Amino acid sequence: MINRQAISKSYFTRDKIAQHHINSFDDFVERGLQKIIDEQAVIETDVPGLLVKLGRIRVDTPKVREADGSLEELYPTEARLRNITYAAPIFLEMTLIQGEIEKEPEEVEVGLMPIMVGSKACNVSKLSDSQMVKLGEDPADPGGYFIVSGSERVIITLEDLAPNKIFAEYDERYGGRIEVAKVFSQRRGYKALVMVERGRDSVLEVTFPSVSGRINYVMLIRALGLVTDQDVVQSVSNDPEIIKFMLENIEEAEDFTQDEGESLDELHQKIQEAAMKKLGEKVAAGQATEYQAKRSNYVVDRYLLPHLNDPLLSEEETRLIKAHFLGRMAEACFKLALHKRGEDDKDHYANKRLKLAGDLMEDLFRVSFSRLTRDIKYQLERADMRNRELNVLTAVRADVLTERLTHPLATGNWVGGRTGVSQLLDRTDYMAMLSHLRRVISPLSRAQPHFEARDLHPTQWGRICPSETPEGPNCGLVKNFAQQVELSTALEDETTVLSALEELGYTPIGHELVSEVNIND
Amino acid sequence: MSSPKRIGKIKFGLLSPKEYRKMSVTKVITADTYDDDGFPIEMGLMDPRLGVIDPGLRCKTCAQRAGECPGHFGHIELAAPVIHVGFAKIIRKILRATCRRCGHLLLDEIQKHEFLLKMHELKDKNYSTDEIVKNVIKEARKSTTCPYCAEQQKEIKYEKPTRYVEDSHKLMPADIRDRFERIPDGDIELLGLDATNVRPEWMILTVLPVPPVTTRPSITLENGQRSEDDLTHKLVDIIRINQRFQENREAGAPQLIIEDLWELLQYHVTTFLDNEVSGVPPARHRSGRPLKTLSQRLKGKDGRFRGSLSGKRVNFSARTVISPDPNLSVNEVGVPETIAREMTVPIIVTPRNVGELKEYIERGPLNHPGANYIKRLDGRRVKITEKSGAEIAETLENGWVVERQLKDGDIVLFNRQPSLHRMSIMAHRVKVMPFKTFRLNPAVCPPYNADFDGDEMNLHVPQTEEARAEARILMQVEENILSPRFGGPIIGGIHDHISGLFLLTQKGTKFTKNEVYELLKKCDVEKPLPEPAVVEGGVSYYSGKQVFSQILPERLNLTLKAKKCVMHGVCLKTDCEIDAYVKIDAGNLICGIIDEKSIGAFSGAILDGIIREYTDTGFQEASRFLDNATKLAIRSIMTFGFSFGIDDEDVSPQAQLEIEEIIEKAEERVGALINAYEVGELESMPGRTLNETLEMKIMQELGRARDKAGEIAGKNLGFAGELALDNSAVVMAVSGARGSMLNLTQMAGSVGQQSVRGERIRRGYYDRTLPHFRKGDLGADARGFVRSSYKKGLTPTEFFFHAIGGREGLVDTAVRTSQSGYLQRRLINALQDLEVEYDGTVRAGDKVVQFVYGEDGIDPTKSDYGKSVNVHRIAQSVIEKRENG
Repeated sequence: MINRQAISKSYFTRDKIAQHHINSFDDFVERGLQKIIDEQAVIETDVPGLLVKLGRIRVDTPKVREADGSLEELYPTEARLRNITYAAPIFLEMTLIQGEIEKEPEEVEVGLMPIMVGSKACNVSKLSDSQMVKLGEDPADPGGYFIVSGSERVIITLEDLAPNKIFAEYDERYGGRIEVAKVFSQRRGYKALVMVERGRDSVLEVTFPSVSGRINYVMLIRALGLVTDQDVVQSVSNDPEIIKFMLENIEEAEDFTQDEGESLDELHQKIQEAAMKKLGEKVAAGQATEYQAKRSNYVVDRYLLPHLNDPLLSEEETRLIKAHFLGRMAEACFKLALHKRGEDDKDHYANKRLKLAGDLMEDLFRVSFSRLTRDIKYQLERADMRNRELNVLTAVRADVLTERLTHPLATGNWVGGRTGVSQLLDRTDYMAMLSHLRRVISPLSRAQPHFEARDLHPTQWGRICPSETPEGPNCGLVKNFAQQVELSTALEDETTVLSALEELGYTPIGHELVSEVNIND
Repeated sequence: MSSPKRIGKIKFGLLSPKEYRKMSVTKVITADTYDDDGFPIEMGLMDPRLGVIDPGLRCKTCAQRAGECPGHFGHIELAAPVIHVGFAKIIRKILRATCRRCGHLLLDEIQKHEFLLKMHELKDKNYSTDEIVKNVIKEARKSTTCPYCAEQQKEIKYEKPTRYVEDSHKLMPADIRDRFERIPDGDIELLGLDATNVRPEWMILTVLPVPPVTTRPSITLENGQRSEDDLTHKLVDIIRINQRFQENREAGAPQLIIEDLWELLQYHVTTFLDNEVSGVPPARHRSGRPLKTLSQRLKGKDGRFRGSLSGKRVNFSARTVISPDPNLSVNEVGVPETIAREMTVPIIVTPRNVGELKEYIERGPLNHPGANYIKRLDGRRVKITEKSGAEIAETLENGWVVERQLKDGDIVLFNRQPSLHRMSIMAHRVKVMPFKTFRLNPAVCPPYNADFDGDEMNLHVPQTEEARAEARILMQVEENILSPRFGGPIIGGIHDHISGLFLLTQKGTKFTKNEVYELLKKCDVEKPLPEPAVVEGGVSYYSGKQVFSQILPERLNLTLKAKKCVMHGVCLKTDCEIDAYVKIDAGNLICGIIDEKSIGAFSGAILDGIIREYTDTGFQEASRFLDNATKLAIRSIMTFGFSFGIDDEDVSPQAQLEIEEIIEKAEERVGALINAYEVGELESMPGRTLNETLEMKIMQELGRARDKAGEIAGKNLGFAGELALDNSAVVMAVSGARGSMLNLTQMAGSVGQQSVRGERIRRGYYDRTLPHFRKGDLGADARGFVRSSYKKGLTPTEFFFHAIGGREGLVDTAVRTSQSGYLQRRLINALQDLEVEYDGTVRAGDKVVQFVYGEDGIDPTKSDYGKSVNVHRIAQSVIEKRENG
């Protein structure tokens, strides 16, 4: 018999019960913030030559501005008792550039960031138990929540369908059953649903945002730069049965012939351009041809599978990667049709991702910060109009950001219209608090039955508690972590993964033929 | 107070501008409300002629006080006509269907006549004519030239919400109004309008009625500032723009500005009527909150209809947690004294009761049976206080009304939501008690579907003599013992009542005289004790059956089969080996054991028998029996003692082994089935695939195994054969008090197969449920078979599968309650107007739905479990009579 008590003991001495929140928030403060700043990089203005370069961002420890103007360290208990927000000043390095002149970088306070109790930025985290007691803090408090105007707010963990993953499933159309492959492609808080479906006569069609209706698959692939029939077919599969389906698709598509004196490359270019033009007619119907061309390029780069966009790669390379990804989706459709794979189980926990406090704060900060940059731009332009001396220090109104960070936290109304994201920490008793900190909610509507989603799925073993779920309309949609669950974080830098894959014989997608890729089968 | 008035008829139609002006008490011309001194401005929005809201002032129109004056309409003369958004769609239809010059409906006389005929035919039958109107408009739109003036018709485009474009030329509301005025009266009916009450041009407003101030009262904030209602704000906007429009037009402003202002006026009038029109940005308050205008007041859950009229809150009601009290009569309800002190019954002072009422008043509001208010002849209500009590009692006069506190014996309505059938509200008699909960006899739990895990119930005090009489005669608990659903009792013993009487009436019980008195102490028994059943060593003993007979009415004759009857071969009747033949003769329990079949809710044969035997006093007899039975049962179960513990689930090691073996064998057979399936030797059953066949066979096999294990466990606990009455679980299961064989099986034998939506657990990791099993494993344990018993404890995988199965049940209940609630609502909405008339027909209004109620004319309450006559019972009584000579 194993001594299970020993296991539990070692687990609980190692990690706090709300460690997942704290880790996630720390990650956000240490990396997420800088990432958002780097995405923005500069604030451009309508004044020619006037711009602000953004540098390093730094979060201080929670402070409170007293009535006499002094700045003092703030501790959670004090924040609770005095009904103030437990937040730390954020400093951002900003450099004003006016034409040729580049001023000295300045570190400006851009706002206050609510700090999670118990995180690295929290004043309490550096204290020993006895020091905490002396300051009136509870050493047994797990932390993991924020204090906004004296009330404790927890950011509830959100359970979502995994983005950037292909899901094959059946759907109803034309009164019959069709096969669809769906992907929620996600990049920087923007989410786009891309679908490839096998309709009548095995003809593939693609749907993605900003384009109404469905687009022919072969046409899209050609527009993306996979031009020859061979490439188009083999980017999908080598399976003879699937090739047969693909040939039908090729048959449906427009035919091109090599003109007299035309090189192969020229022909390929012609095909791609023709496809792009057709796409333009679809995305911007009834508009000028030039606009159509511009729009179709923009749409393909922006709205089609945005998660594959890589700033390091050229547009052509990215488009090819997108074409091959669509090939994977098409393959999933055909395999489903040929019963070579089943429908994907959306409730399988491998297909779920959890959005923790850090991720949600990131979403919030991204939007709030872009508001701040807009405000800075406006302030600078106004100052310039009045011929005042330009200064980043006066252009930054820290309250703009502070308000936009604390208000959603205080009300639970997140960016993107989601409500109930932050909740008042349940302090009915110690256990109620622990349970609340480890709660996971599914965004599915509780008004509909959703029997499958409410079921306890065997893959939840060891991850989600099988017993704790409310009775009533939220049954099975509101869950709680299992005792020993550990959350892994998405890897920011994928190079290690890539090198490991390369050792296993992976070659990057190029123009050469791609053989069948099997992941997780 | 004005007397209530009867509504003679309701007429639907549109008001003409003339009528608006006629009903208006003033024209409103200034957008200001109050002057600097805080007085309302004449011809302003708060004109005193529009009604009063400030206490103390009198209305300038009707001279009544605030609260009495209903308010009066004013009006605004609009500088230019605007479209009423509510009619935007109808206006579009009419525009398209009528001639742009002469206003005639674009159909020739023959067509018109045909449609009209069809229309009248439907109208005579009281059917909807919507379909015809649709066709009229469809036909009219087809003609390109007017059949009367030969004018070429043009296409009319409609842009949401109030723009009509003809040939890329915008139609101003004034143009539309002109056209509508030309429509002849004769064509109006064909457009689906009521020609006597509606002229289409009235859909375009030239005069805007100003609602009375009473509908838009302003509130005074703490700082003395006035805050106006949303409607007033909107009216201010309308008047301002109206004025500006007029000034600009008089000053000869360019057409462009006029049109802009016109559109602005249209916007304000539109949002005044409905602030949620699509295509119109909602008008907002300074704080950014959208204004709540007319339409918003009526619409939706918190609107006037669903929120204020259907969802009215009432006075004279109380709500608290409920708890059981078997010593109360089923007709009673225990009311906490704190509640009784708050709730009152109005009593008119007469020479006969003046003395009694004086006593109440003297006691004041704080000493329980006291009084809270008196109402004098002039209608003044005076609060009784501790001090004023004696003084008021002195001056008490005949004809005054005393609001006396609730006391024992008052009749009240008691209700538990959801009120799904009429037994959800029943009348009880008050019994004032200490503590803070409503108390009720657990026997009335079934009709309310109540339990005591925190349920709350409502109590209402009828305020008039008629209401009390109606409650007493129609709604009292004893009147509702028989369910109108199936004609049997739905009130009856539950849980311990059944176990208690089961233990009491089993064979071989004996009680001394003292013990019998102890048991029957609280019961209302008139019968003398019979001869003792046994005398042993000079001491006389009474059997439990004799004790039970003491509470049976004398005229009761009944035979039935108890729940544990196994129906083997020919019934031995009174000689039944297991005492399952219940025979009551002239109120004496001759043989048989009393269980759920005899006294349980939904099935209690004794209650049924009493009501049918005592044709006039049946309900009283029945409730008396119920009161006695519940009291006796509780006392009996307490003398026997009744408890349940973990060792009650113990089975012998021998049985343990047998169970093990049965399950092992079953698993082997499952293995064999899977083997056959894999090898391809399994034959599919008709109409099923191979997979389904396998699943079904496995489920059957495992189900059988669990039942067999249960049988062994049951036998071991003494379920079958000679009863082991020392096992409480068995007593409860056999008597029907609670639990079943299945529960016993799961506790002591094996929990069995867990399922999700009727199938074995299938979902999970790829090709397997849990990583504890091999891929492709179809075996019993890998698909959610729990071989352990609850007593033994579940293995981790079993526990998890059990949680999966349990979750499904949880989800099911949650989803089902909401669905059945909605279904019930729809049924009620559809059937609420049906009524059984004195001639036996069922009618909805004046339409006959059934010529004979239920098509057999049977009142199910008075039927025998839904059948009109119980031939068997009649035959039985005749035979018995003959046998007895």
